[in-house]
Amino acid sequence: MTEPIYIEDAEELYQDAPFGYLTMYGNGKILNINNTFLDWMGYNRMEILGQKSFSSLLSIGGRIYLETHIMPILQLRGEIAEINIEFKKKDGTKLPTLINAKKVKKHAMSQPVFRLSVLDISQRKHYELELMKAQKKAEQMVQRLQQINQELEEFAYTASHDLQAPLSTISGLIGLLEKKGMLKHDAKAAKYFSVIKNNTDRMKLMIRDLLEYAKIDGKEPEMLQVSLNEVCDITLEILEEQIHLHQATVIIPELPLVVGDKNQLIRLFQNLIGNSLKYRSESAPRILVEFEEREQEFCFFVKDNGMGFNQSLAPQLFEFMKRLHSHSTIAGTGIGLSACKRIVELHGGIIGATSEEGKGSTFYFTLPKKEIG
Amino acid sequence: MEKNAQKRNNINLFGKGQQPMIFAHGFGCDQNMWRFVTPAFEDTHRIVLMDHVGSGHSDHAAYDFEKYNSLTGYAQDLIEVCEELQLQDVIAVAHSVSCMIAVLAAAARPELFDKLILIGPSPCYINDQDYFGGFDPKDIEELITTLESNYLGWSSYITPVIIGNPEKPEFSEELNRSFCTMNPEIAKHFAKVTFGGDNRADLAKVRTDSLIIQCHPDVIAPVEVGQFVHKNIRNSSFVQLNTSGHCPHLTAPELVISSIKNYLYA
Repeated sequence: MTEPIYIEDAEELYQDAPFGYLTMYGNGKILNINNTFLDWMGYNRMEILGQKSFSSLLSIGGRIYLETHIMPILQLRGEIAEINIEFKKKDGTKLPTLINAKKVKKHAMSQPVFRLSVLDISQRKHYELELMKAQKKAEQMVQRLQQINQELEEFAYTASHDLQAPLSTISGLIGLLEKKGMLKHDAKAAKYFSVIKNNTDRMKLMIRDLLEYAKIDGKEPEMLQVSLNEVCDITLEILEEQIHLHQATVIIPELPLVVGDKNQLIRLFQNLIGNSLKYRSESAPRILVEFEEREQEFCFFVKDNGMGFNQSLAPQLFEFMKRLHSHSTIAGTGIGLSACKRIVELHGGIIGATSEEGKGSTFYFTLPKKEIG
Repeated sequence: MEKNAQKRNNINLFGKGQQPMIFAHGFGCDQNMWRFVTPAFEDTHRIVLMDHVGSGHSDHAAYDFEKYNSLTGYAQDLIEVCEELQLQDVIAVAHSVSCMIAVLAAAARPELFDKLILIGPSPCYINDQDYFGGFDPKDIEELITTLESNYLGWSSYITPVIIGNPEKPEFSEELNRSFCTMNPEIAKHFAKVTFGGDNRADLAKVRTDSLIIQCHPDVIAPVEVGQFVHKNIRNSSFVQLNTSGHCPHLTAPELVISSIKNYLYA
């Protein structure tokens, strides 16, 4: 036996649809309403037809919204979609809905007629309110974090800046004591004195690096088109004395123009080339800058023939104040490479390093290709 | 003066006549609401359409929350538009909140305006002792909540497709983009300024001949409010249309057109 063909009963479909339906004039006079919507609202048909206008089913806020925004759009466009509006049920409670409406094309009435479909969104509304609350909270949190961050940056800058002056006085006086031979000439005193001097120098270095680091985040990077050859030239000038001291060779090819903050890029190259000098091997340092052009970015390499490092320790290199060597073997603060990482990240790139102990290292970083704008 | 008011207020100019008629829209919509009315005046007047800053295709970046914290900021813009376009003997046709904007502008610069046509004006929406404005403060709060919770509803109007008018390409292009859109933050602020304001004292400062066009019933600006405006603007006429709602220029444009014509040519 075959199933009979299912035939929709139009009236039953209208009245008992899983949707609210309502038909009205442009002035809000209700011409028809389906049972589903009546049930939701708690009214019977006679209480609505000829008795209530569409706007009287809304909260007052909803009425203003209807008159000033929804009806004008409906009149001008002939349809509206996904408007969230709240109805007031007979018992005074609210029914949050999404309404769609359309002008009826053919009818025998003297003025425009509009059909509305009403979707009950009580559940979704709860969810939406939760989301809005969470969003507000997140926005406040971001604001608070930004403020704390800014205060921290200012603190780091001010603290290190203010520590510099007394420290300069101390190291100046130490120099004077030594120069004028005002120290007792016994071995123990000389040892203490050398420890004081080393620690003062170390502290100076740390403060200088901290200040440099604080400067990176302290102000907005100035993104302009920059010639990396110019950046490297300036870097080499700054490092001239050290290059000479180490009898190093630095080879710089023709480099592309990039968009970036010139001062920060100089600091980047200064740190990388400076490290190649600092962590040299027995042989005279040979430092080679290279680059590779890719579809979206440039990748730059700073290769050296220095002492290298154990590749498994590579991730630690860029951590703040993390060092692979003790201060007594090679002086340093562990800030330089984390500053490099900050700078590259602020430019939208990534930084990394590959090495093999005793065979030199290659530091690389990417800079996205982009137009200024 | 720099020509910035035209861009800022998205000014559209057309019409064959001399005397300027500037149309200022109400809260929640934009200059598109005038499109059933302006054709009746194109042959006889110079039509100037504007969007208030923050509405329609005005320069939303120019929305300064401090400047637009009262209707005076909008009135200043209306005056600047008249000055920049060197308009004289202006007929200002204003709807809803724009009525008080026009009232403030005409009180400050009476020499610019010939006539005010005020459709559904209200100087104060909130009831105050003997004054009936139609709303309680909590109603306005409820509106703000409605706007707030309708965040998604407002943004769904960003790219609607509307059938344009082929005879007026500038119009069709406008319509093919979007209309009655508002940034939710601006919508909330504009609603607070519109429905929280009290400009009753400014009505008496108007010397310009004015026509008040009133619908009945109008839930936003009831008849009592229209009559209050009529009583307080000294050279005013009052006409009540046989239609309901707050936007007769959309629902019964022919009634609005004939009222304006009767008034202008009486």
